[in-house]
Amino acid sequence: MPRRDDLHKILILGSGPIVIGQACEFDYSGTQACQALRRAGYEVVLVNSNPATIMTDPETADRTYVEPITVDAVTSVIERERPDALLPNMGGQTALNCAVALGEAGVLEHFGVEVIGCDLDSIRIGEDREQFAAAMRDIGLEVATSGFAHTLDEARTIADELGYPVVVRPSFTLGGAGGGIAHSEQELNQIAGQGLALSPTTEVLVEESIEGWKEIEMEVMRDSAGNGIVICSIENLDPMGVHTGDSITVAPAQTLSDNELQRLRNYSLACLERVGVATGGSNVQFAVNPTDGRVIVIEMNPRVSRSSALASKATGFPIAKAAALLAVGYTLDEIVNDITRVTPACFEPSLDYCVVKVPRFTFEKFKGTSEVLTTRMKSVGEVMAIGRTFEEALQKALRSLEDGHAGLGADGATAFDEERFDELVALPTPERIFYVAEALRRGWSVHRVAEATGIDPWFLHRIADIVAAEPAIRGLGLEGMDRAHLLAAKQLGFSDAQIAWLCGSTEEVIRAVRKVLGVIPQVKTIDTCAGEFAAQTNYHYLTYEAGGATEHVAAARPRAVILSAGPNRIGQGIEFDYCCVHAAYALRDRGYETVMVNCNPETVSTDYDTSDRLYFEPLTFEDVMNVIEIERPEGVIVTLGGQTPIKLARQLEEAGVPLMGTRSDAIDLAEDRDRFSALLDRLGVAYPPSSVAATAEEAQQVARTIGYPLIVRPSYVLGGRGMAIVYGPDELASYMAEAARVTPDHPVYLDAFLEDAIELDVDALCDGTSCHVGAVLEHIEECGIHSGDSACCYPPFSLSDVLAGKVRDVTRALALACGIRGLLNVQYAVKDEQVFVIELNPRASRTVPFSSKASGVPLAKLAARVMAGEALSDLPLPPEGREVVYFAVKEAVMPWARFPGSDVRLGPEMKSTGEVMGVGASFPVAYAKTREAIDYEMPAEGTVFISVRDADKRAIAPVAFSLARMGYRILATRGTAKTLRAAGIACEVTKRVGEGHPNVHDVLAGGGVSFIINTPHGHDSRGDGAILRAEAVSRGITNVTTLSGATALLQALAVLRGGRLPVCALQDLAPRRQESA
Amino acid sequence: MNLLVSEGSQPPALFALEDGTHFCGRACGAVGEAFGEVVFNTSMVGYQEIVTDPSYAGQIVTLTYPQVGNYGVSDAVMQSGGTALRGLVVRDLCHTPSNWQSEGSLPDFLRDHGVVAIEGVDTRALTLRIRSTGAMRAAISTTDLDPESLVARVATSPAISTHNFVADVSPREERVIPASPDALRARKEAGRPVLRVVAYDCGEKRGIEEGLAAVGCEVVTVPFDTPAARVRSLDPDGVFFSNGPGDPRQVTQTARAAEDLLGTLPVFGICLGNQIMALAAGARIEKLPFGHHGGNEPVMNLLTRRVEITAQNHNYGLVFESMGPLVPELSGGEVVHVRDLRHWVERGITPVVQTPHLGRVRLTHVNLNDGTPEGIQFLDIPAFSVQYHPEACPGPHDARYLFASFVRLMDAWGCRCGGEPCVSPDYLAIDAREGRPHHAEA
Repeated sequence: MPRRDDLHKILILGSGPIVIGQACEFDYSGTQACQALRRAGYEVVLVNSNPATIMTDPETADRTYVEPITVDAVTSVIERERPDALLPNMGGQTALNCAVALGEAGVLEHFGVEVIGCDLDSIRIGEDREQFAAAMRDIGLEVATSGFAHTLDEARTIADELGYPVVVRPSFTLGGAGGGIAHSEQELNQIAGQGLALSPTTEVLVEESIEGWKEIEMEVMRDSAGNGIVICSIENLDPMGVHTGDSITVAPAQTLSDNELQRLRNYSLACLERVGVATGGSNVQFAVNPTDGRVIVIEMNPRVSRSSALASKATGFPIAKAAALLAVGYTLDEIVNDITRVTPACFEPSLDYCVVKVPRFTFEKFKGTSEVLTTRMKSVGEVMAIGRTFEEALQKALRSLEDGHAGLGADGATAFDEERFDELVALPTPERIFYVAEALRRGWSVHRVAEATGIDPWFLHRIADIVAAEPAIRGLGLEGMDRAHLLAAKQLGFSDAQIAWLCGSTEEVIRAVRKVLGVIPQVKTIDTCAGEFAAQTNYHYLTYEAGGATEHVAAARPRAVILSAGPNRIGQGIEFDYCCVHAAYALRDRGYETVMVNCNPETVSTDYDTSDRLYFEPLTFEDVMNVIEIERPEGVIVTLGGQTPIKLARQLEEAGVPLMGTRSDAIDLAEDRDRFSALLDRLGVAYPPSSVAATAEEAQQVARTIGYPLIVRPSYVLGGRGMAIVYGPDELASYMAEAARVTPDHPVYLDAFLEDAIELDVDALCDGTSCHVGAVLEHIEECGIHSGDSACCYPPFSLSDVLAGKVRDVTRALALACGIRGLLNVQYAVKDEQVFVIELNPRASRTVPFSSKASGVPLAKLAARVMAGEALSDLPLPPEGREVVYFAVKEAVMPWARFPGSDVRLGPEMKSTGEVMGVGASFPVAYAKTREAIDYEMPAEGTVFISVRDADKRAIAPVAFSLARMGYRILATRGTAKTLRAAGIACEVTKRVGEGHPNVHDVLAGGGVSFIINTPHGHDSRGDGAILRAEAVSRGITNVTTLSGATALLQALAVLRGGRLPVCALQDLAPRRQESA
Repeated sequence: MNLLVSEGSQPPALFALEDGTHFCGRACGAVGEAFGEVVFNTSMVGYQEIVTDPSYAGQIVTLTYPQVGNYGVSDAVMQSGGTALRGLVVRDLCHTPSNWQSEGSLPDFLRDHGVVAIEGVDTRALTLRIRSTGAMRAAISTTDLDPESLVARVATSPAISTHNFVADVSPREERVIPASPDALRARKEAGRPVLRVVAYDCGEKRGIEEGLAAVGCEVVTVPFDTPAARVRSLDPDGVFFSNGPGDPRQVTQTARAAEDLLGTLPVFGICLGNQIMALAAGARIEKLPFGHHGGNEPVMNLLTRRVEITAQNHNYGLVFESMGPLVPELSGGEVVHVRDLRHWVERGITPVVQTPHLGRVRLTHVNLNDGTPEGIQFLDIPAFSVQYHPEACPGPHDARYLFASFVRLMDAWGCRCGGEPCVSPDYLAIDAREGRPHHAEA
């Protein structure tokens, strides 16, 4: 069936901000969909609130709405654009949910919009556990059986029917509290008894236990003709019980026989048909009993997913692109396989390598929360590695994580908790893989580890082989290491650093020895067909093989290597990948052969289409140098991928690698406190008094000179990791006791903290002789909140033109003095009309995508051109201080609900996972859109609970006054109430948590509060405030922790009362910009 | 196993190709020497089915998936009583497998069956070489470790086409495989008799026998050189020509029997059987550069226009245009043959040719990767055949419906309701979805 000609305009929904469980894989899929449909001749309208995406670039779709993915906003877009069809299966659960809601609201019918790719009924069957179970039974597939119990008797009856062990899951408890596995009636009485007591509805789900079973995912595609193919099987190394997003996963499946796999294939295809997936990609998850092969269907997602992004990268098969084309009528046999260009997409990829994905966690940012992995996803990113064996891929993946490991141990990076060692082998945590290896190292048998962990013995044997090679390498030492053995070590995935550690040498020496012995990696190609057909794309990985056959073909054009950002983590996310993608586009246009290096499967940068050559490799010095020595580039870009490549700059330069743009000395100048302070002094630029301390005593001494409060932080950190504000000597002492652990080799910085100052973020571009300030962003929250967690606005809404001009002048002076060639970001604090420099980052910042979209100047693209030698004067740049007639606001999205037990508050350490953007004619409109985009409840009436610290008491009165005028009831703690009443504002008083009942916690628990304004005191993280904030998170109640945030929220509430907010396309902003310029 | 782990336990081995390429590795099966034609198979699993497939007689097989043997071996998936391939070349062989069905490790199995095997080879580099050069003569040796010497000996070894490998693997005795009880019961309930199929066992895979038994056929296997008269004396409802090794042009006895039987009884052929039936119809056979060996070949059934993902294992294929001139009125008016049969896929036409003495034949199945013929149906006699493996073993089950097609054909042929066999040519038009066993259950 050829493409449908009855459709002309197609609406695609994105997935909104990056949150845990829904990350930039949907930018990858959405971007592919937009591009594929436009190439097929359709007009594409896009709605996505996430500015840090390639899909929301004005060039990606025909009409781009950076608007909330809500029924209201999307309805407005539909009203304006009148699309013929809606493609909802590219934007994760967010898009599916919105599509269902639009359907239920009658919007789709009213405007005659056809849902393509999947129909709403199939989404419901996929979502609703009962309907899904019934559907699966229909086609003879088993699902885990279960029943709800409201009494112990009922629980026992269900358990007797199911047979022990059973899983008990109390309904509606936070983080599954009170659940567990019961192996006997006795245990059931205890666990279910507790669960029933904890559950607010006195209800527990008693379910057949499949923990410890193998977890297998099948990535399946189907077309309108009924053809079905399996793109990839993925096996979880961690057995059932750990969310697949938090599991180490392996593709293709390793421990299943052909019979078992074909059975899963048949089941998957039948599942898609039964659920009614008309066309597109789906993911079907199975549990397989390792003792008898019994198969249970866990769930299916009728859309592209994180797993399908992984499967696309693992196989080279572009699932999202194909899914988009299938949705408009093409069949699988009509789509050409991009990689071979001579065979159709209707086939099943064959891999001749092994792919391992390892999730990246950031528990260190959420102290107090449990690190045990469960069925609720907690990882914030992932890495993928490719090797010829599982062993090689696993070690490459572990060194890709950038958390200090050089592989699976043998690097001195893990300190084992001896007291809890056995427990930590058994418990799934981010560190478990290292405990497993260590247990095998300590002589545990594979059988014992398998019993303890449920990990299939095949994986454990492979890990045991890696571990067994360690003493062999150590025994050989550098002297005994011949070519064959060094090659064998590299084939097991050992990094030079690990071999050095084992041989008592250094990474540099091992590298040199390797080259002398001729043990150098070869280029292999991801070709979807295991070599059966010639690949037309340059999607590569490096591996070690005897024989030295390489698939590298020298490029005719000069090469530019772009080092991207590695795994997403808090503090370094999609924004950096965005910059790298832009550089690839810009440099390709300028005639370069672009070479991308990255190990993050969720990203657009690791799409084989984005650059001319893609190397899916870890971003360590060793791996990056391997690529550089193969490609021999004219230059390497290190300043767009965040800290990851920046950290390599000096080492690369010392190895003789030509860097493009800012040199490592300039990077050092900006990052070395002393050198930078000296520079600021020389330029006469103010900065908060600061100093450095290497010991606790020194810190106390310094603190006395500077005065409190202080911002303290370890040197060379990302996203404010380990950063804190301390208000006195005691806090400083306890901070120093902990900080020593964060980065032992680096001292601690102490800066005077400017309370109540306005913070600014500035993104600028410099070519060495002139500088263009792209955007000055004004933060909503005051200084002290990490800039990544702070909302900000373009253009500044309260800054005078004079001050803005001054900020631009200082930025210019700094950029030129540092010798920046490319992007820089400067953070300022403005207090009493005085401008202080807080820090300068000689690289692309997190705000570049937002700044680019808000200002209409593609900063990252232009930066790449500057780095390639073009002068700013030759680039199309608008005047800096031009007036704009709209406001763009960026707001951060916090992952609190995922980390029960950690304190919910903004501070100098970044904790947000993503961001949204809102555009409007005024600041309140733009800000209100960001609130809606994050899906915060914006209750139009009800009770507001207010409790502020003393410093905020004066300023709270006008906020409360407005709230009261808008009809909200006000509830306050005694101190705050006193202030409010003094201002003539009526309010009720409630007790604090420690003051008996009924107190504020009871009111909250009773559902009587619409939102909370609670500004924390310096150090009450274990007090009342923390309890309230945690309760608010668990109940989804909006909780504002800064006064400036409260003011902004108030304005947003007022705007929302006016009804649906007008939407606007990015493409319409451009002309308006020109008019005003 | 990695050198640092195996240290000393595996003797060195050498693998050499006729073009002079050689690879050093370690022995991981029987020690000794093996000469044969090297082919690559791209199935990611199913190594035991491959190793025990008689069609690989005379060949050295390399598997493109690098880690082989992960789930061990099990009697249940044997495709024959033993192994017929000459040798196995892998990147990394698993000595410590894990699976509930595993009864032993693949290296032990290879050793027990005397299969010479080498690991540590860059099988991707090898595959790319075969792709560019074509299937080549090759050797694995654990005794001659001098590349120059081994390459020279490979160059003087006999080519695969000069020997009748079918004679080596076809059993000398007849065997009876009963129909599956479930299928029998179902047929009885539908008022249908059990069907007896005589299968020419040219190296038949067990999976095929199981496929026929599963649709209610009692299978009597006979040696490849059994005369047609003997087959008739068994009073079969249908005749089956199996897969098998080597060049079909060497298997003259079977081709003669096919000529004799075609037109008198319903006939179904798979792989070598397809080639033998085509030869009987006067077709030319060609050798493909490196053949199709894997489990992901897309094939379109032109009657349903459904794509089946199929298992394949062949180096030879029939040339469709050699079967006779196109019948324009049944071929969309076209009179000129095209080599790339995807032409018919694009045109939505099922072309028909006129053979010299077996009537009209239509093209029913086309390989979407390279446009080669994958299935033909005789329109004037009850016969059809496919080049690929509907039994899979290993591979996807999409084409299992072909066994049901054969039953349909036999039932229709046996039905004399109007005095004549009531065969309608749509017996092959079964949706691939119905072929997948799961769907049949539901």
